[in-house]
Amino acid sequence: MNLVPIFLSLAAAASAAAPSKIFPYSYDQHDMPNGLRVITVPTEFPDVVALYIVVQAGSRNEVEPGKTGFAHFFEHMMFRGTREFPPEKFQGVLQAAGAANNAFTSDDLTAYHTTFTKPDLETILRLEADRFQNLEYSEAAFKTEALAVLGEYNKNSAAPASKLFERLRETAFRNHTYRHTTMGFLDDIKDMPNQFDYSRKFFDRYYRPEYTTILVVGDVQPAQVKSLVNRYWGGWKRGSYRATVPAEPPQDGPRRAHVDWPSPTLSWLTMAYRAPAYADTEKDTAVLDVISFLGFSDSSPLHRKLVLAEQKVDVLNGYYADHVDPYLFTVSARVKKKEDLPSVEDEVTATLAGFKDTLVSTTRLEEVKRHLRYQFALRMDSSEAIASTLAHFIALRRTPETLNRLYDLYASITPEDVRQVARKYFNETSRTTVTLTGASK
Amino acid sequence: MRRMVLFAATCVVAGAQPRTVLLPGKSPLVDLRFAFLTGAADDPPGKEGIASLTASMLARGGSRTLSFEQISQRFFPMATQVSVQVDKHMTTFSAQTHIDNLDAFYAILRDMLLDPGWRPEDLTRLRDDQINALRTGIRGNNDEELGKEVLYNAIYAGHPYGHHNFGKVSSIGSITIEDMKAFRKARYTQANLILGLAGGYPPSFVKRVLADFGKLPAGKAARPDVPTPKKIDGMSLTIIDKPTRAAAISFGFPIDVRRGHPDYAALLVAQSYFGQHRSSAGQMYQRIRELRGLNYGDYAYLEYFPNGMFRFEPEPNLARPQQIFQVWIRPLELPTAHFGLRLALHELERLVREGLSEEAFERTRGFLSKYVSLLVKTKSAELGYAIDSAYYGIPAYPAYVREGLARLTRDSVNRAIRKHLDTGNMHVVLVAPEAEKWKRRLLANEPSPMKYNAPKPDAVLEEDKTVEKRPIPLREDRVTIIPVDRVFE
Repeated sequence: MNLVPIFLSLAAAASAAAPSKIFPYSYDQHDMPNGLRVITVPTEFPDVVALYIVVQAGSRNEVEPGKTGFAHFFEHMMFRGTREFPPEKFQGVLQAAGAANNAFTSDDLTAYHTTFTKPDLETILRLEADRFQNLEYSEAAFKTEALAVLGEYNKNSAAPASKLFERLRETAFRNHTYRHTTMGFLDDIKDMPNQFDYSRKFFDRYYRPEYTTILVVGDVQPAQVKSLVNRYWGGWKRGSYRATVPAEPPQDGPRRAHVDWPSPTLSWLTMAYRAPAYADTEKDTAVLDVISFLGFSDSSPLHRKLVLAEQKVDVLNGYYADHVDPYLFTVSARVKKKEDLPSVEDEVTATLAGFKDTLVSTTRLEEVKRHLRYQFALRMDSSEAIASTLAHFIALRRTPETLNRLYDLYASITPEDVRQVARKYFNETSRTTVTLTGASK
Repeated sequence: MRRMVLFAATCVVAGAQPRTVLLPGKSPLVDLRFAFLTGAADDPPGKEGIASLTASMLARGGSRTLSFEQISQRFFPMATQVSVQVDKHMTTFSAQTHIDNLDAFYAILRDMLLDPGWRPEDLTRLRDDQINALRTGIRGNNDEELGKEVLYNAIYAGHPYGHHNFGKVSSIGSITIEDMKAFRKARYTQANLILGLAGGYPPSFVKRVLADFGKLPAGKAARPDVPTPKKIDGMSLTIIDKPTRAAAISFGFPIDVRRGHPDYAALLVAQSYFGQHRSSAGQMYQRIRELRGLNYGDYAYLEYFPNGMFRFEPEPNLARPQQIFQVWIRPLELPTAHFGLRLALHELERLVREGLSEEAFERTRGFLSKYVSLLVKTKSAELGYAIDSAYYGIPAYPAYVREGLARLTRDSVNRAIRKHLDTGNMHVVLVAPEAEKWKRRLLANEPSPMKYNAPKPDAVLEEDKTVEKRPIPLREDRVTIIPVDRVFE
């Protein structure tokens, strides 16, 4: 196995007509008999190891009524200990390792990440194996932790953008679990202390090897990692549960909502179009990524007009957010004066319509492709950054190879692809618009 | 008033070339940091915000030959940009680029920093941005950062640190292009520049950069000569009156300790034990969040650490000769906020009274001696820390911390805690609705009994009986209420 990072070929790739693989590291991918996947990526960064444990369960899996926010809440409970390692002892081991340890939850995944120096690899893998297999907490600890989740909601509540995107989801979706944010609805968060039994069920369903990928990036060797994972995770039992996530029917017409923010703030406009699930074999989602840069990046004509020339807007972005199930292509703008909201909305609509009518220039398209490749290369600046980038894609396809496939798709996009995808997705019937304005002083 | 002069190590002989911090390597990425030893502490009265606005005009405005729009177009295929950070004594322009693009990128960056365009349309946009960063970014949308920044403003009232790095809304509007040109000419000098490069740049690149930046005025050595802040006598309180769901709290007081001070490592251990940033190991986190579920987290700091809600590690290049010890209590539900404040003060008292046990000392020291490596896990961070070390006149930060930790004993840590940490003289900032009610409740020292949704150990309930009545000795003339729309104005 060639473990030398292919820096030179990466550098060459950015300007070459036929690009080589975007992910510049060799990696080892191994499936254990219980369904657990282990991916090891040795890097040239000395001493440091980044461990990401990715569980393919997030707020998308919250299919039962009244249980929104549960995947995230459960992430908190994973820090409440086992018989062998009660919380203080768990914390003590991490402290002794000088480790940075945390976790996050999103729509499609929950990830537990630890960064440490290489002598502690076995200790950390053993510690993690224990809580994934033997988590045990009291009802009292569960109820206390539910309050910490409410505390997290409280600290987020000061930002109007949180409310804006909460409203966007509940307006754009009626059936699918993407209807709620990862934090969940406030009423469900308040009811969390009463859901102890459900929490055990959640653990039993999703904290299973077939949902989980162990990703180890840094100053490590695959043989050593696989041997340790086999020792500590080999006995983990496969589960059987599969969530039935309700499908969202096609949207039947444009939707609109508004948020009145109780204190003064700048206004927001967000416009979202229904978009397909992440794919690395068909072009649509790759083209939507490219359109987000063509239309709404710092180099876009709309940015030039609204941010630099007219100065009506101070934040403008567009993005297709990779998801397991069909989600949204979203354009957002923070608008300095609320009376400009309608004209900014018209400009965004016209920009998207422009892609349907006029072929984008090849030169401009090539600039976006170069941007995407260099943006990726610049992200590979530490083992932790590499692991964090991979974790997102592992939640979608469980392999770093999906990155190479995606970037190959980017390379193949033509101006006609852009026009066809714009015509397919940017239609009024599948649009949701949400605005937010603050109180006058 | 006693004045504190920054150590000689940061001084440079007039006319000398910029100092360089070089970390060459084989990576295809190149990190650049240009740290000028000037910042918001140099803002003249009435022109607060000029250091930030001047830096923005360079990093986010056009050069003489290229408009900012043209610069954005050229940077876009390289996927790069110039970032800027302004603190009290340090203004840092930083960027990362792929080696393929180094020449093209640098040619633009050089002109941005050395030959700025000073276009009125850039000023209009960036002035708006700076005002909106204060009014909307912090005051409107981030109660926690609001509390922390108001704490600094209150502790440093009447001092060069007494305004936010972005200035004041009223003064930002009065800054002209001529003001900024003069500010830049006086402050952006060779003597004030620490130039950092890391990654796979060729050796000839260093000469090229030095030749270019050798055209800056030579200038004189930076000697931040800032007065020590007024001593806080007793407890004082600022309440920011804002309609919030929960109460954000910060408190703190000035300390003499900074990097290079003999007690730095000892207080670092104390801070980590008491409230390591975003870690669940800290005492406050354990007692306030983990045991009682009052909020999302509780942390302590020896050094300025803005935007802590968005970062796990501090941003480098915020070096200052003066720091405060700061406690950050994340938002508390309104009915438990009074108790939460009392509990945090109670924990600080316990820290000062009892110090660390031998076991806690060894555990925390062991943690820090390894954790310090993680702070420099990217070349960009390593470069930033190396520049800060040049500023403070200390060795590379990880080595400096490890050497300091190795010399410590439990007694030396506990002595440093008693010497530098205060439990009776501090400023508290509370961001909450109904400020007048809060004022009355706090002045009256009304009891704040806790009710829990789950059984608690007897020891916790017993401790609560003390905490719920713990007096906070405030005098009415030490309590200030500020309507939120007056902050930073």
